[in-house]
Amino acid sequence: MPDEMEEIISEFITEAVESLDKIEPLFVELEQKGQDQDMLNDIFRSMHTIKGAAGFLGFQPIVDLAHSAENIMKKLRDGEIPLNKQLMDALLKSVDMLRSLLEQLKEKGSVEEDVSLLVKELETALSASILVENNVEDAPSSAKSVMPAEQETKTSDLAENSTPVTAGEKHEHSRISAEEPKKTPETVQTTESAIKQAQTSSDAALQSKEVESGQKTKETALNLRVDVSRIDKVMDLTGEVVLIRNRLLNISTSYQQKYGRDRYTETLMETVSFFNRVTSDLQVAVMKMRMQPIKKVFTKFQRLVRDISASVNKEVELQIFGEGTEVDKSVIEHIGDPMTHILRNSIDHGLETTDERIAKGKPPKGRVVINTYQKGNQIIIEVTDDGKGIDIDKLKKKAVEKGLLTEDETLSMSDEAATNIIFMPGFSTMETATELSGRGVGMDVVKTNISLLNGYIDILTQKDTGTTFKICIPLTLAIIQALMVEDSGTRYAIPLTPIEETLKVSKQEIDNITGQDVIVIRDRVCPVFELSSLLGTDFNGKVESDSKYLIVFSTGDKRFCVTVDRLLGQEEIVIKTLDGMDTAASYVMGATITGEGKVVLILDVTGISRNYLDIVKV
Amino acid sequence: MPDLNMKILVVDDFSTMRRIIKNLLKQIGYVNIDEAEDGADAYSKIENGGYGFIISDWNMPNMDGLELLGKIRSNDELKHLPLLMVTAEAEKEKVISAIQAGVNNYIVKPFTAEILKEKMDKVFETIGK
Repeated sequence: MPDEMEEIISEFITEAVESLDKIEPLFVELEQKGQDQDMLNDIFRSMHTIKGAAGFLGFQPIVDLAHSAENIMKKLRDGEIPLNKQLMDALLKSVDMLRSLLEQLKEKGSVEEDVSLLVKELETALSASILVENNVEDAPSSAKSVMPAEQETKTSDLAENSTPVTAGEKHEHSRISAEEPKKTPETVQTTESAIKQAQTSSDAALQSKEVESGQKTKETALNLRVDVSRIDKVMDLTGEVVLIRNRLLNISTSYQQKYGRDRYTETLMETVSFFNRVTSDLQVAVMKMRMQPIKKVFTKFQRLVRDISASVNKEVELQIFGEGTEVDKSVIEHIGDPMTHILRNSIDHGLETTDERIAKGKPPKGRVVINTYQKGNQIIIEVTDDGKGIDIDKLKKKAVEKGLLTEDETLSMSDEAATNIIFMPGFSTMETATELSGRGVGMDVVKTNISLLNGYIDILTQKDTGTTFKICIPLTLAIIQALMVEDSGTRYAIPLTPIEETLKVSKQEIDNITGQDVIVIRDRVCPVFELSSLLGTDFNGKVESDSKYLIVFSTGDKRFCVTVDRLLGQEEIVIKTLDGMDTAASYVMGATITGEGKVVLILDVTGISRNYLDIVKV
Repeated sequence: MPDLNMKILVVDDFSTMRRIIKNLLKQIGYVNIDEAEDGADAYSKIENGGYGFIISDWNMPNMDGLELLGKIRSNDELKHLPLLMVTAEAEKEKVISAIQAGVNNYIVKPFTAEILKEKMDKVFETIGK
């Protein structure tokens, strides 16, 4: 059964990674809150389970590593040793290593990594902790040490006597005793208390936990683990259904226009409108199927912040709000990297050193807050630090030094445009790239990754108060509401999300200031672009008319207008990606099929706004 | 030869483990296998009857294998139900408490289908099937 085995292994990887995701934040919490029996036990159990399953599947390095970690967790749980930094570091390292082993397994189907060094490190950390503990409790432990020896002989007697011993059994016993010499006296010492504890706790638990756990089981039994590819298939098909629905709506409307109050036409209209409703519901249902709480990504951040702040010697507190906010699976997959970059940047560049903070009269401990919420059909993620804010003059100077901008360009730049310099490829504000921020990739990757999700990022900064990175991402990626427009004889779809409003304006209302078309909308000056000149389609012969349709876009705090010849109406479209096309350069993010069965390009407004920064430096 | 149509309950909180054990049971020839994800889940299933054999992990959230065993043994209708405890820790004190609680046998992870069969057959032998 090779397929069965493959499935088991892939299930193991998924489940093991989930376990690690679950326990990783616990480590940091433990470090902050001190010993917590439940947390220690949770971590212990996860290590134990991973080891057990890996043993069956023959992944020895995973077994070895999980075994060493489990050993430490057991001693921590049983209160034999206290948690210290050395242990914590070694344990966290083993979590990382387990992750990379699982990753390796996923890619290559086997693990051959040598984990002996890390295992040794874990053992060293453990024995160091035991030594410390022994020194502290010297007197009482020597008094107790008479007992365990007796206990041990008693227990082994019992084991031999009460189990019917056969060949198989013997084999097992020999395995048990083979492990015996490894044990330190401490392990045996707790034997007695462990039994007592287990018995009393189990008795109590039998009565008290019954109700509670009964409920819990019912809840979890309602969950079903489904292969992502199956959900994606449903998603795909739903997209097709949406397209067919759009066509049906179109056709039936033509029928109605042609045959009016014909009995069959009415029945058809009724059915189509019902189908329309059901399709919309289906879409929402499928969308929800792919939604997961963003917590999944955030769990690793406490740990990340701990590591980063330790390496730059700053005290940092991370607060997370709205981690229950649900986002599309693809957002979960792609938001981790950019968020990591932003956090690094905030801690490394944003926050001051402890001394600087004290000098400024700020609390010595820096604060980074992640806040997530849904606003309309967008997900907003804000990362705010209470650091020094972005020094715009320094940014400009740096950009000139690096040859990214000319001095003239920086002079005419608005502050808002200037903060966006940090997203320029090849830019880094620190004099020397630190180990953290200078990993070869900069903040430009953040912007790229977020626009891949059809989102955009904005920076709000204030000197000595702090900086906020605001990420906005549409709720769903595959099916979107779009405005259908026509320009220079061609149809386009424009995602509705960034559209603020549409206006019909006369030519006279558009002014030209230093070569840039602008319009004043409710006392705000807004740059105007012609779609045909943005797309380079103006050779097609423009429709010259006195009035124009203006689409007002708002991406973050940027506002700009694009003119088109005609507005055709709103439609729900399914995004189909176009292969082999430089979407960034062409302002096209994909294509869709309309109700009439025509292929229409979808315009990438984020792309326009991204380049808008280069076009107009107002 | 035990009845291969016997309904067996595999209890483990890690679904990969349940699948592995199910797979081994199928290799032995058992066809009627059910799963539960912890002691509490298992007990509510067992209470509804129909099971001939329980294979349970030890360390689980909500209700662990030992608690499950205790509940089964203290229920007059269920107390004869054979239970095989799966443990990765071959620690004697644990085995002792399981034996005291009335476990029929235990098996140390990892194991093969042969070892599992041997263990199960031995249990059937001792309970006089």
